[in-house]
Amino acid sequence: MKIQSIVIRAGRSLKQAKSRTILTSLAIAVGAFTITLSLAAGAGGRSYTDQIVSANTDVKELSVQKSPPKSQKGPTKYSSNIVSASTAFFSGELLTRTDLNEIQKIDGVVSVTPNYNPQIKYITRAGQDKYLASISAFSPSVTLKYAAGSVSGNLADNEIVLTEEYVPALGFKNNQDAIGKNVEIITDKLTAPISAHQTKTFPFIVKAVSSKSGLAFRSQSSLLVSSSSARAMYDYINIGTQSYDDFAVASVRTTSEQRAKEVKDVLIKKGYQAQTAADILGAVNTFINVLQGILLGFGALAILTSIFGIINTQYISVLERTQQIGLMKALGMRRRDVGRLFKLEAAWIGFLGGVIGSGLAVLAGTIANPFISKALDIGDIRLLIFNPVSVVAVVVGLVLVSVASGILPARKAAKLNPIDALRTE
Amino acid sequence: MIEVKGVTKIYGKKDNEFKALSDVSFTIPDGASVAILGKSGSGKSTLMHVMSGLDKPQTGQVIIDGNDILRLKTKEVDKFRSRKMSFIFQSFFVQGNESCYNNVSLPLEIADVSISRRRVRVEAALKAVELIDKKKSRARDLSGGQKQRLAVARAIVNSPKILFADEPTGNLDSVTGGVIENLLFNYHRKFKVTLILVTHDPELSERCDIQIHIKDGVIDSIKRKKK
Ligand SMILES: Nc1ncnc2c1ncn2[C@@H]1O[C@H](COP(=O)(O)OP(=O)(O)O)[C@@H](O)[C@H]1O
Ligand SMILES: [Mg+2]
Repeated sequence: MKIQSIVIRAGRSLKQAKSRTILTSLAIAVGAFTITLSLAAGAGGRSYTDQIVSANTDVKELSVQKSPPKSQKGPTKYSSNIVSASTAFFSGELLTRTDLNEIQKIDGVVSVTPNYNPQIKYITRAGQDKYLASISAFSPSVTLKYAAGSVSGNLADNEIVLTEEYVPALGFKNNQDAIGKNVEIITDKLTAPISAHQTKTFPFIVKAVSSKSGLAFRSQSSLLVSSSSARAMYDYINIGTQSYDDFAVASVRTTSEQRAKEVKDVLIKKGYQAQTAADILGAVNTFINVLQGILLGFGALAILTSIFGIINTQYISVLERTQQIGLMKALGMRRRDVGRLFKLEAAWIGFLGGVIGSGLAVLAGTIANPFISKALDIGDIRLLIFNPVSVVAVVVGLVLVSVASGILPARKAAKLNPIDALRTE
Repeated sequence: MIEVKGVTKIYGKKDNEFKALSDVSFTIPDGASVAILGKSGSGKSTLMHVMSGLDKPQTGQVIIDGNDILRLKTKEVDKFRSRKMSFIFQSFFVQGNESCYNNVSLPLEIADVSISRRRVRVEAALKAVELIDKKKSRARDLSGGQKQRLAVARAIVNSPKILFADEPTGNLDSVTGGVIENLLFNYHRKFKVTLILVTHDPELSERCDIQIHIKDGVIDSIKRKKK
C-alpha cells in the first residue's frame, strides 16, 4: 500500500474520532507550548545578555582581579603581607600599584586602569539642593543611551554625564537645558581630622544626559566623569588612608581580541583572575542555560505524560477497530502497512499537538513580549525570541516521539489475527 | 483451479482440542460456482478461511493455479489475496464512518492502484450495485441491504478471480437477499469468476454448479450439476 494512501486514511480516521484526537493532542500541545516558550526564553535571554555584554564591554579588554587562594574551603586566613578588603560585595585580596605596574609590562597591554569609584560627599549646583551620587569613570566602549547631548570618543576632564534623575533635582528645566551648564562635586579628605575638615570642590560642565537603557549594566545612578577626573577625586579623598591605591578590579586594555586572550593566559599564570568579555557572557549564559534546562524539563515531563496518553488512545483505537483491521488484512493489506496506519495516526496526533502548542506559544509570546519588556524595564528589547528552526524542530521532534509511542499499539494491530476479528457473528 | 488436499484444522491445545476440519479434499475448476453447505458450527467458515489463506490448517495443501498458498510467506499470501480474491461477509463489515466511495476504494489502495484508475473502477463498481448516488454518503447511513450491496461493490472492484461469500444473505430479508444473490450470480456468469458461497439455504445452493456438504468437519457429499 502506498504511504500516501495510508497517511490519508490515518488522517481520516482521526477526523472521525475528533474529540478523542483533539484531547490526546492537547496533552502534547501542553508540552510543545512549554518547550517552545522555554526555547524562546533561552534564545531571547542569551541574545539579551549578548547585547548587554557587547554594549558594555570591549572585546579587547580584560577585567582583572587577584586570584583567591586555591583549594581552600572556608574564609581566607589573615596575613600581614597581603592587602585585602571585605565588604558586602567583595571579599578577597586587592590589586596594588605593584600589581598594576607588573600587568602594564605584559606584552600587548595598552593600558591598565583600576576602577576608581570616588566616594564623593555630594553633587550640587549654585542655588540648588545637595545630592548624594555615585561616580564612575567613563569608558568609550560602553554604549549609553543619551536623553540629551552626546559624547563622541572620550570625555574631557572637566565634563560630566548626568543621569535623567539629576536633571530636575538640580533644577534644570529639561534634559536639553542641562547641557553646557555647571555642576559641582564636593569631596572630603578622609585622613583630615574631624576637627579640621578639608573639602575640595571639583567643577564640571554637563556634556550629556544619559537615559535608562535596557542594555545598561552598571548602576543606573552612576554619574560619569573622565578616568583622570575620577582618579583625581579618588586621590584627594583617599590619599594617606590604609587602602589607598588598592583596587578590587582593574580593566586591562590590549591591542586586539586575540591579544586579550593571550594576556589572559599570562595573567592567570602570574596568579591573577582575568575575564574577557566572552567569559563574562559565558558566565551569564550558563545561568540562563540552567534556567532554560529547568523549563525544558517541565516540557519533557508533559511530553512524557502525553506519551502514555497516545499509547492508551491508540490501544483503545485498535480494540475498537478490530473488525476494520481484520477486514483490511483479509483484503490483503500487509502487516507492515497495518502497523504504519496506526503509527501514522499517532504521528498525526503528535503533529496536531505540536502545531497547536507551538502555535499558541508563538502567539502568546508575541503578545506578551512588549508587556514583559515593560515590566522588566528593558526598553524595546524582546525577551522571547522564536527561532523558526527550533519551532519546526519541536514539531518534528514531537511527531517522532508520537510515532515511537504508537509503536506498541501498532504492533498489536499488525499482529491481529484477521479470522478472530472477522468471527463476530 | 483450486485443489484442496487432505486439509485438517484443529483448534485449541492438547486437552480441549477440536477438529474443525478433518482430511478435507476436493477440486474446484476455474469459473465454477460452489455452495458450501452444512449446519452451524460444521466448519464452513473455517474451510473458506483455509481456502483463502487467512487461516493455516495443521496439515494439507490448498493449491491455486499451481501454487500451494499454505506454503507461501505471509507477505505473498497477502499479495495473492489482494490481487485474486475478495470476500463478502454475513455482517457486511463495511466501515460505517467512511463514505461509500472510500469503502470501495480500500482494496484498490491496498493493491497500489493509481488514483485516476481507482476513480474509474470505484464508480463502475458502485454503478453495478446501484449505489452510485450514495457515493458520498457515510456507510453507516445505509440500510442493511444497501450495506451488503456496498460490500459486493468492494468485493468486485478489484476484478477478483475468486469471490468468497460467507452467508451473504444471512442477515437480510428474502427480498433484499434475493437482490444480493442475483448480483453475485450475474457477476459470476458475466466475468467467469469462481464463486464460493457458504450457505445453509438449499434454494440458493441449487443455483450452484457444485454443492459441498460438510458435517462436523468432514465432507458428507459433493454434488456436481450435470451439464
Ligand atoms: N478460534 C477457535 N477456537 C476454537 N474453536 C473454534 C475457533 N474458531 C471456530 N471454532 C469452532 O470450529 C467449529 C467450526 O466453526 P465455523 O467454521 O465458524 O462453523 P460454521 O461457519 O460452519 O458455522 C465450530 O464448532 C467453532 O466453535
Ligand atoms: Mg460461519
